[in-house]
Amino acid sequence: MSPDSLNAASCLVRLLAACCLVLAAAATAGEIRHVLVLYSSHRLLPANLEGESGLRETIANSTELSTEFLDYPHFEGESYVHTVTTFLREKYALQPPEVLVVGGEEALAFLLGHHAELFPQAPVVHMGVARSFLRSIPPLPADVVGVPIEYDFSGTIEQALRWHPRARHLVVVTGTATWDREFEARLRDEVSHFKDRATAEFLAGLPTGAVLKRLGELGGDAVVFTPGYFQDGEGRHFVPREAARIMAAAATAPVYGPFNTFLGTGIVGGRLPNFVAMGRQTGEIVNALLDGAAPAALRLPEIMPNTLNVDWRQVRRWGIDESAIPGDAIVHFREETLLEAHRNEVMIAATVFLLQAGLIAGLLIEHRRRRLAEQAVQKQRTELAHAARLAVAGELTGSIAHEINQPLGAILSNADAGELLLESGADRRDALREILADIRRDDLRAGEVIRRLRALLAKHEVERQPFDLNEAVSDVAALLRAETRRRGVTLDIRLATTALTVVGDRIQIQQVLINLVLNAMDAVAEVPENRRTIVVSVENVAGGIALAVRDWGHGIAPDDLPRLFDSFFSTKRQGMGLGLSIARTIVEAHGGRIWAEPGPGDGAVFHINLPAASATAGQSSETA
Amino acid sequence: MSTTPLIHVVDDDESLRTALLRLLGAAGFEARGYASAGDFLLQPPPDRPGCLLLDVRMPGPSGLDLQAALRRQGVALPVVFLTGYADVAASVRAMKAGAVDFLTKPIERAALFDALQRALARDAVQRAARDEAERLRACFALLTPRERAIFDGIVAGKLNKQIAEELEIAERTVKLHRAQLMAKLGITSTAELGRLAERLRHLSD
Repeated sequence: MSPDSLNAASCLVRLLAACCLVLAAAATAGEIRHVLVLYSSHRLLPANLEGESGLRETIANSTELSTEFLDYPHFEGESYVHTVTTFLREKYALQPPEVLVVGGEEALAFLLGHHAELFPQAPVVHMGVARSFLRSIPPLPADVVGVPIEYDFSGTIEQALRWHPRARHLVVVTGTATWDREFEARLRDEVSHFKDRATAEFLAGLPTGAVLKRLGELGGDAVVFTPGYFQDGEGRHFVPREAARIMAAAATAPVYGPFNTFLGTGIVGGRLPNFVAMGRQTGEIVNALLDGAAPAALRLPEIMPNTLNVDWRQVRRWGIDESAIPGDAIVHFREETLLEAHRNEVMIAATVFLLQAGLIAGLLIEHRRRRLAEQAVQKQRTELAHAARLAVAGELTGSIAHEINQPLGAILSNADAGELLLESGADRRDALREILADIRRDDLRAGEVIRRLRALLAKHEVERQPFDLNEAVSDVAALLRAETRRRGVTLDIRLATTALTVVGDRIQIQQVLINLVLNAMDAVAEVPENRRTIVVSVENVAGGIALAVRDWGHGIAPDDLPRLFDSFFSTKRQGMGLGLSIARTIVEAHGGRIWAEPGPGDGAVFHINLPAASATAGQSSETA
Repeated sequence: MSTTPLIHVVDDDESLRTALLRLLGAAGFEARGYASAGDFLLQPPPDRPGCLLLDVRMPGPSGLDLQAALRRQGVALPVVFLTGYADVAASVRAMKAGAVDFLTKPIERAALFDALQRALARDAVQRAARDEAERLRACFALLTPRERAIFDGIVAGKLNKQIAEELEIAERTVKLHRAQLMAKLGITSTAELGRLAERLRHLSD
């Protein structure tokens, strides 16, 4: 052990010793006072438990509470009473109670008969005793006091009939024990007052099975009232609460009972005494008596107030109009709504949810705006690309007109020749056939030029279609043939030996290529004609397709290289500086890359890498 | 030497060339085709009337280049240009260099024939003038040095007596030579001799 923990231990010992001293002082200062509580029935009767809890929470700390149970009605008879009396007297001889509390009518009756033998000097407080019982016996001695209760059968039945306006049939269940018979007698009297309102059916003293069977047959016009029973028609013992529980479970009509201990068993409710309140009231009387008050001098309420109690679950089950529940009623088992049960949490959750919803809505709006903006940008890009193609076409007008006028000229001349042959009258059928064949060929040739041109000029939606890059490049070469001839440039096209499928917009890729070739032609304009060669090569490389345009012209100044693909950057006097920036936009939209580098020796090389269609397909199938 | 005019068609587009040759043939022209300026230059044209129908744009030397080359070589065949795309600069250049016309494809046959007829007519005129000059030069070559001196004197408007004094010969001898040279040149009057002298001076310019 460390010195520290030794210190702590010694401190604890000292503290305990101090506590003991204080307690001893208290014990000698205020003497312990004894109160004996004697219940009619057994210890687990809910009414007893509730009364006791109210009692214990009210009486002073210095009071010692002893409880005894007469266990009526299971044990009865003269010898039992004698035995119990002897037992109690002897048991408490050394600690005589200063106040006696009797819980229940039997306990009161017992004590009234034996008070002389059992602690006659102690005043008696009764609790849980019905006023009707008190009225049925001679007036109580002056040292026996208490606030009676009243089991309000009529009030409960009246309430039941009010809550179930359609009810025309009142079923009353009672048992066979002495108390049960007393309740039955009282009920037969009270129920008769409702005969205008409902017919009465008594299930009195029946076996539990028969009771439950009958209760299970009841229709929508019935209500059940029961005080429970201690014993059924077969002599089986019950706690009334349990009897009420099985009845409520079996009944197809709402069940009412006069005891608040029944609440929670499935009965709807009733006008009920509150046993806890009763215990508290008793506790206050006990305190006053222990403080020396004379029993006769106490000013007590005439009776314990009953309150309307109702089980919220049963209200819902039987469809009772909520507005018919008075404001002072005690509602039990109300299933609090989420909001009521966890108000703060719900508020926080709701706030978070709203914030989140707002955030999501904001993001969605932002997303939508961005998509619209992207669409607008995409549209602008498409239009810009188209404008650039128109510009290219403008540049090519001369050579393209030449390309078209060549076959048109041939067609016209052939037609004229044919006409002259016909006019000559000679039979020149073979010559005419030849002429017609040539005309057709030239027409197709002109048509092909126009087709290529129209494809380039058409304003079209951007496509994503697989196409063969070899073919696209050949097409460009054909389109540029006249232009290269005009400029004295040799266009050397080196196609790949295998088909190179690219997914994307064929026209836009061709546009990029035309742009690069025209740039290259500009670059070689000043060099001697034998060096005006432009090589366009297409080949398969690892991870894609490489397209290169190589020239041996004036080259690119190193300072210009980084800005080459920027918008409005141009080294040409008449250049808009859009061609290469559009080219880059197009290539990047195809998932590719475009860059330039000085050619080995002279000139420049423009490279384009595009993903091959098969590779793209492979990726998408992987992700799919 | 054939006197039928021959039209030389130079165009790299075989289809168009064939069509043009076919049309010209049907219209009664004699025509020959060449695929390039080089082809034409490699085959010296026969010495006969004719003209050139030239495409402007061709691989290798253009029509304008060929026109210039022929001028340098003194080949005086009139040129009609036929182009697929009429660009102003090229047409101006061609016309300045003496082209008969600058036509665009596709060409109406009437316009084509008209241009070719004008070209051939110009060729005929040029050819006639050239023949006349040739003849004159040949005649002039027949004159003796004394006759040439007397010719110069007559052209200068001098009298026989003055010429005789300058050449220190008899006036009668001058008259004799004068008759001799007029016979050689095939003229009968002094006025004719003056016109001839004018033409000769023009030729030697």
